[in-house]
Amino acid sequence: MEGALLSVENVSVYYHTPQGETEAVRDLSFQVQKGEFVAVVGPSGCGKTTMLSLIMGLNPPSKGQVSFPQGPCPMGYMLQRDNLLEWRTLEKNAILGLEVQHKLTEESRAKTVGLLKKYGLGDFLSHYPSQLSGGMRQKAALIRTLALDPEMLLLDEPFSALDYQTRLTLANEVFSIIRQEGKTALLVTHDIGEAVSMADRVLVFSDRPATLKREVVLDYPRGMTPLERRGTPAFQDHFAAIWKELER
Amino acid sequence: MNYSKEHAAYLRAIRTHGWTVGLCRVLVLVLLLGLWELGARLGWFDVFILSSPSRVLSAIGRLWGEGSLLIHVGVTLYETIMGFLLGTGLGILLAVLLWWLPFVNEVMDPYLVVLNALPKIALGPVLIVWIGAGMGSIIVMAVLISLVVTTVTVLSGFTAAAAEKQFLMRTLGASKGQTFVKVVLPAGVPHMMSALKISVGMSWVGVIVGEYLVSKSGLGYLIVYGGQVFKLDLVMASVVILCVLAALMYGAVALLEKRFRK
Ligand SMILES: Nc1ncnc2c1ncn2[C@@H]1O[C@H](COP(=O)(O)OP(=O)(O)O)[C@@H](O)[C@H]1O
Ligand SMILES: [Mg+2]
Repeated sequence: MEGALLSVENVSVYYHTPQGETEAVRDLSFQVQKGEFVAVVGPSGCGKTTMLSLIMGLNPPSKGQVSFPQGPCPMGYMLQRDNLLEWRTLEKNAILGLEVQHKLTEESRAKTVGLLKKYGLGDFLSHYPSQLSGGMRQKAALIRTLALDPEMLLLDEPFSALDYQTRLTLANEVFSIIRQEGKTALLVTHDIGEAVSMADRVLVFSDRPATLKREVVLDYPRGMTPLERRGTPAFQDHFAAIWKELER
Repeated sequence: MNYSKEHAAYLRAIRTHGWTVGLCRVLVLVLLLGLWELGARLGWFDVFILSSPSRVLSAIGRLWGEGSLLIHVGVTLYETIMGFLLGTGLGILLAVLLWWLPFVNEVMDPYLVVLNALPKIALGPVLIVWIGAGMGSIIVMAVLISLVVTTVTVLSGFTAAAAEKQFLMRTLGASKGQTFVKVVLPAGVPHMMSALKISVGMSWVGVIVGEYLVSKSGLGYLIVYGGQVFKLDLVMASVVILCVLAALMYGAVALLEKRFRK
């Protein structure tokens, strides 16, 4: 418990609407260690996004608590759609968070531009989002969050708006970016293959209200990329196991 | 650039088409004016009632000679531009305020709907009583007409600004002010531009109607006066000038829009 970066303890969330009360999350507990890549799979509408905004501190839990045992943990959030601002160039989009938090300096700007260049967007700094492919846009959105140098990244189905080919390549790239930058990651998805190819550990959520059904630790050899993992028998086994778990 | 033969031919066809349309537009005008003049000369209709292009021209010349043309045009232009600027300025301000205060927005919503539906011209006599029979009433009329439509259009632009982008701003730790300046306002620019275009036309309506009701000068006054003393040449001349001015002002706004869209 002491080594955990994030600790979610017995958390429940209710939404109140005129139609009634929805229980979105029920008695959920789990932890994320520093440097870990954790994936959460669960059916659509089960309460995954709810859980992420809870961790981000945008909504309070109805019961239980979210804590950061190692002290405050700066977090970055990546959404399903890139939400780049069409009237800003790629570079201006990437520094949006720095601007908002009054952290824009020569140094932080240079660092962000450095990230864009390092990850293959260097030729497009003064392009507008509409001139870029979906994969590039999503990568730019990731760098927008990385610019603020978060400790942990919360990824909310970041690839589900992309076509299959792009999804696989981008998952590979994002994985290597997160590893290279040494970030902790919590990825939420309904795509089992995505979870099983990227994470160190998979949390399987039930239908709404989200509860933790099962935890699967993935034991790939170190240094394998998501694409390489997809080719292994272990991938098939984990995939089948989680598939079965979700079916039940 | 090196294009294939087909592409060069395609480009030529586009250009030819553009020219043809432009030419035909001019032709339509020439034809209409020509028929009008011809009809007047050949006595197809009474020139006292329908006037004619040459009589309109000489009426304009006469106004110019008397030195009153510029005064009338100046008065009307001044009123319209004031009405337009104040109306859109206040309208946008009001929209910002209502976006900022959702509760007030919700409370005011039905009033805004009624105000928008109400023909503001009906308030003319009230304005004259309140403000007096002068330029003030005319400008207020133009402001009223353009303000409400601006507020409604711009506000709908603000509220349409992607909710998800506003959520993104929250995840980046932005304040409401920052979200407004960086996302909502720029996302609302297209709506603001179409509001300006509508508002330009509305200001003209407000001013001309205002001038019908109260004024001693301006193009609206000339039209009413000309009608009363049966000088249809003067009426037609004023309408023609009005057409040109309104088109110019609309063109200026459209140009502004083009610059902003870039
Ligand atoms: N703001 C809200 N108000 C009311 N109900 C909500 C709200 N947000 C989500 N819900 C409901 O909570 C459930 C979980 O939603 P969500 O966390 O978005 O699921 P997921 O991300 O797993 O698809 C859904 O049934 C959804 O309808
Ligand atoms: Mg979701």
